[in-house]
Amino acid sequence: MSERKIRVLMSKPGIDGHWRGGIVVSRALRDAGMELIFGGFQNVNQIVEAAIQEDVDVLGLSIHSGAHFAYTKQIIDLLKERGVFENILILVGGVIPAQDFPKLKEIGVANVYGPGSMTSDITEFIKTHVKK
Amino acid sequence: MFDKDYLEKIRIEKEKWEEKLKGSKERDVKFVTDSEIPIKRLYTPLDVKGDYLETVNFPGQEPFTRGVYPSMYRGKLWTMRLFSGHGTPEETNLRWKYLYENGETGFSAAVDALTFNGIDPTNPDGAPEVGTSGVPLYCIDSLFALTEDIPIDKISVALVVEPFTSAPVCAMYFNMAKMRGYDIKNLMGTTQNDILTMTVGYIPYKNSPPNHLLRVACDFIEWTVAQKNVPLWHPINFTGYNYREGGIDAIQELGFVFASACSHIDNLIERGWKADDFVGRLAFHLAAHKDFFEEIAKYRAARRIWYKLMKDKYEVKNPKNFGFRFHVQTAGSSLTAQLPMINIVRTAIQGLEANIGGCQSLHTNSYDEAICLPSEQAALVALRTQQVIADETRITNTIDPLAGSYYVEWLTDEVEERVWNYMDKIQKVGSIDKALSTGWLYKEMRDAFHKRRTRLENGEEIMIGINKYKVPYDTVTDVFRTSQKAIDTEVNRINKLKARRNNAKLEKILDKLRVVCEKEENVMPVIMEATKEGATVGEICDIYREIWGIWEPPLAI
Repeated sequence: MSERKIRVLMSKPGIDGHWRGGIVVSRALRDAGMELIFGGFQNVNQIVEAAIQEDVDVLGLSIHSGAHFAYTKQIIDLLKERGVFENILILVGGVIPAQDFPKLKEIGVANVYGPGSMTSDITEFIKTHVKK
Repeated sequence: MFDKDYLEKIRIEKEKWEEKLKGSKERDVKFVTDSEIPIKRLYTPLDVKGDYLETVNFPGQEPFTRGVYPSMYRGKLWTMRLFSGHGTPEETNLRWKYLYENGETGFSAAVDALTFNGIDPTNPDGAPEVGTSGVPLYCIDSLFALTEDIPIDKISVALVVEPFTSAPVCAMYFNMAKMRGYDIKNLMGTTQNDILTMTVGYIPYKNSPPNHLLRVACDFIEWTVAQKNVPLWHPINFTGYNYREGGIDAIQELGFVFASACSHIDNLIERGWKADDFVGRLAFHLAAHKDFFEEIAKYRAARRIWYKLMKDKYEVKNPKNFGFRFHVQTAGSSLTAQLPMINIVRTAIQGLEANIGGCQSLHTNSYDEAICLPSEQAALVALRTQQVIADETRITNTIDPLAGSYYVEWLTDEVEERVWNYMDKIQKVGSIDKALSTGWLYKEMRDAFHKRRTRLENGEEIMIGINKYKVPYDTVTDVFRTSQKAIDTEVNRINKLKARRNNAKLEKILDKLRVVCEKEENVMPVIMEATKEGATVGEICDIYREIWGIWEPPLAI
């Protein structure tokens, strides 16, 4: 019996176009055997809709604009409203100061990856923390 | 460059020397440049090919290997230009003045993501990003605030906006200058206007397709320089830096830049201009990355390639139009959030590359680059770094001091040859807009992303603090935060402008713009009119979107 692959949606909330991080991590997760849906630019409603439609286990948010708190909070609130927050592992990556990690975790982010993160650490974290 | 018999003597002596090396072990690392050019343990006169007068020659003389001007830094130092902008135009104005008072000699506006993409702050999709990654420049009032009390007739300003928004933002700047009483015929500055920055350097948010971006970029060159409306302006700055930051190497950086430049020149020639009418004002912006000698060789090779392109391909006649003039930015992607003070060292070394390589203008990064926009203190350290190079090291005593180094001359030739080969590869795909729309450039970028990641993860490429002498990510520096009030300030600014302007008159002008866009005529004259009447960048770009459509870039994973 084949195991269901871990499904990941990688999105870029907002309009900032720094795209390298999101692509690098997407490829690494795909190489690690996960099913990767690259959402690209999506507004917060589109992200939540796509996460539900695609029945994802993991939602990756790539944010380099400095507006990481505003977007993440909006997305988590919407996921809660739709009753799916508990099912999805939320990860945030980008140019995010270490000082902001606790604040993001407090609102429901499972882990945060700042500059210099290794993709192997992200893969490992997902495999050990995925909720389903 | 050397006498044949003498070279033979060197060859014999070299063989003897190599005998002595037999049995001695070397460290187990690859001796290659960042772009994977294999490097020998020693370079000698045997490696230097070509005739001095033909391939190197004197500064300011063909083929310009040693510099574009005869006197270089003995005549005039490079411009110290820090890329800078945050929060609001007023806050950025204060930062600019602070840097100017501390010896900065040129300005460069870093704009926010909304300005880059032609989105007004009233659009909820981008509202949280007002002022977070640069200065918001949404309407003509913003330009007045940005440059208040700054002598823009004496100091040059670089406006870092790309083809999708360069026409409206620069038209606002030119109108502001006119209203202040300046003659824009004497105005000095640069518009980045680089098609590849907003397509492969960053990805575009609701911009129009590449063929239209290429055309509006050329409209701007045509209107400012060829038609001599702002003849001293640099209407485009081919910015290899921005895609180099994605992970491509020095060879690809120059390949992208020259292929793009050729597509713009071809477009303007198709419009009936001669290369000599505008190529003298085209400018370049390159990276100073981690490989010290390869970067210096890159700058020297770039000058030679450009000269050959101008002379042979475009039959340029005026000797003033052969010069490859370039700004340099030290490599942001080489900096780390871990141990941020080490970034000062990295930046100093990279700045030195740029200056030894003969750049015309330099931005040095701040030590907090990997974490946030620069704090005032970090920006000052970055500026002082250039000033140490300029005033303390005495590297400016002589021009092109590494010329004649067997290694550097050999590497310059090698880089040049590889760039020509890579340009052939791009040319087979077609013009630069085709290389974008077919996805070819995205695949090149994607491959570079993964190559870098693999090299970092397997330790082939070292970053101190990341994969060697590893430290946990815990930002010890103060984090500079942009103003939370920026959004309100900018929405108010736009509302005030809209209340003041003659909307009926503006509507008519915008209708004219629709027709111009449909007919694919030069957009600049009508955008000058529209921005003077108070059109916002978002309103102009919405017309582009309406007439030319929105483009989804073919990203590759």
